[in-house]
Amino acid sequence: MNVFESLLTGLDEARRHIGQTVLALLGIVLGTASIVTVLALFGGQAALTQQYLAEVGGAGTVIVGDLPQSPTPDARALASDRLTYRDAELLMARSRTLDAFAPGWEFYPRYQANGRTFTGQVMGTLPDYARINPIIPMAGRWLSDLDIARRSRVMVMGWKFADSLFDDAANAVGRLVTIDGKQFTVVGVLEREEFYFAAWEDNALEYRNERAYIPISTAFSQFTNHDGLSFMTLRAREGMVGQAVDEIRSLLYAQHGVEDFEIRPSGSFADGDSAEFMLLFNYIFLVVGAVSLFTGGIVIANILLASVVERVREFGTRMALGATAGGVFTHVLAEAMVVTLLGGLLGLALGTALTGTVGYLMQLPAVVTPAIATLAVVTSAVVGMVAGLYPALRAGRLSPVEALRYG
Amino acid sequence: MPALIEARGLAKTYRLGRVDVPALRGVDVDVQPGEFVAIVGPSGSGKSTLMHLLGCLDTPTAGRYQLDGEDVSALAGKRLAQVRNRKVGFVFQTFNLMPRLTIEENVALPLKYRGGVPRKERKRRAVAGLEHLGLGHRIGHRPEELSGGERQRVAIARALVGEPAILMADEPTGNLDSKAGGEVMRTFEALHAAGHTVILVTHDPLVAERAERIIQIADGQVVA
Ligand SMILES: Nc1ncnc2c1ncn2[C@@H]1O[C@H](COP(=O)(O)OP(=O)(O)OP(=O)(O)O)[C@@H](O)[C@H]1O
Ligand SMILES: [Mg+2]
Repeated sequence: MNVFESLLTGLDEARRHIGQTVLALLGIVLGTASIVTVLALFGGQAALTQQYLAEVGGAGTVIVGDLPQSPTPDARALASDRLTYRDAELLMARSRTLDAFAPGWEFYPRYQANGRTFTGQVMGTLPDYARINPIIPMAGRWLSDLDIARRSRVMVMGWKFADSLFDDAANAVGRLVTIDGKQFTVVGVLEREEFYFAAWEDNALEYRNERAYIPISTAFSQFTNHDGLSFMTLRAREGMVGQAVDEIRSLLYAQHGVEDFEIRPSGSFADGDSAEFMLLFNYIFLVVGAVSLFTGGIVIANILLASVVERVREFGTRMALGATAGGVFTHVLAEAMVVTLLGGLLGLALGTALTGTVGYLMQLPAVVTPAIATLAVVTSAVVGMVAGLYPALRAGRLSPVEALRYG
Repeated sequence: MPALIEARGLAKTYRLGRVDVPALRGVDVDVQPGEFVAIVGPSGSGKSTLMHLLGCLDTPTAGRYQLDGEDVSALAGKRLAQVRNRKVGFVFQTFNLMPRLTIEENVALPLKYRGGVPRKERKRRAVAGLEHLGLGHRIGHRPEELSGGERQRVAIARALVGEPAILMADEPTGNLDSKAGGEVMRTFEALHAAGHTVILVTHDPLVAERAERIIQIADGQVVA
């Protein structure tokens, strides 16, 4: 049987059972629309998370920190110096899997500048920190190897500090800042870092704008007599994150004699509330979508079954004229798919509109990609095929005489 | 000339639960090309059953059946569908036109199922067939817009469009008043006169009279 005729007959059957068809269509439309919306929003979310990960250190970043000390440490744990600058030197000397090393030591001293006093975060680190994190000076420069070697009293300020201390961030370069009584020269101010998961949320990267960077060698010599680290930010060579984690573990273990550190490769990051909210939202939509599609499919199967029983004589006649069982089967299946495909296309349109609206209201980057559109249409066709299968089998199994005797 | 239909010992037994219902108990039928044969008999005697076997709509439980030189008694499924499509043109008592198709689309159906006939060609042959039966002015209409007699002539055009070896009709006038029935019978006569082989089932003696030869059936057997 010719597909076009099947489609026309399908539409006609749909019209004859208009009440049920509308119901089925509604199910398919809602189902497809929900699925399209969820996937579009989900895709937007995934893209955002990816972007955020790139901001805080892209793929390949490995962060090492101290594990909290056990309340009942054993002798080995007590003997360990915990994470130190020596560990960083060890990795630099021995690692084959890492290509950037940024040990960091943070402290929260009092600042004085421009006649104002503040408390804020200062981070001693190495120039490599900027190779791992997207740090771009908007004025002046970043820390240099020479600063490290000379233990220079220089400082690179985050945007927010510079802005609030000197009224205009760019003004900060060349000015003096006193940290716990020691004078530092501002050699650079960083560009403001911003990232919003959603319009109603705060800048997820604001903490970075509120800190100052100084050479780690200066930090150790001026402010402390130990060489303990707050963390090490490292970068694995292309595609070597797994090996890097193993290598770091064995090198540090040899040094510490105990595993009192934790190694977190990037991607093991999990965002809090916003992600959970989106997940719940997506689940609800997906369940609604699946239920709607299912209901729509059942109604369509019912319509078709009724129409097959009603049209036994028609199928018998077609077979008497030379239609094969397979031809009749295909015919009924095509009838089923007309309705679901129509529903799928309408659902795609509705889903696209919904995505646009939700994306606009929530300021989320959600796009109905060609892949999502294809998936929506294919899904609706598959629902049609599944719904039409049993009615089509029944019709195909008719024998022409039985069909002709009927009614 | 070899026989167009050569059936030997055709039998059909229906099973209703545990009961066997013998509808046909060994029937021999021969039909020569160009013949006009009427099958008559009382209700329930097995006329339709025989016609369905001869038209390859059903398969016999016993016996051998040669149609146009081919043994079709053992065929089934797709092969049987092909024989139906190519060798037999079937006309039903209740016309059995597709209500949603125009009459020329209805007539073209057998060519569609045959496959390989281009759409234009199908349409051309359907229109030619309808014109031949005096229905040219009805092209583009749907079956419901036609009278009973016209519908049955559309059905005849449909049966003929594939140029079958034989035209079969089961009570073709059964649902028509005498005037329309007369029209339809004149059509069959004209087709016979033009060389077509026609077999029809009827229990109307006036209809049977128009045929060249009458096969009488009673209780599943040929009695005359
Ligand atoms: N599918 C079937 N199942 C069971 N019995 C059947 C079936 N088809 C026909 N029969 C029986 O076979 C016998 C012959 O039926 P058939 O329809 O061939 O008779 P007929 O001569 O065409 O009668 P009518 O003039 O009423 O059309 C009848 O007794 C009928 O009840
Ligand atoms: Mg009968």
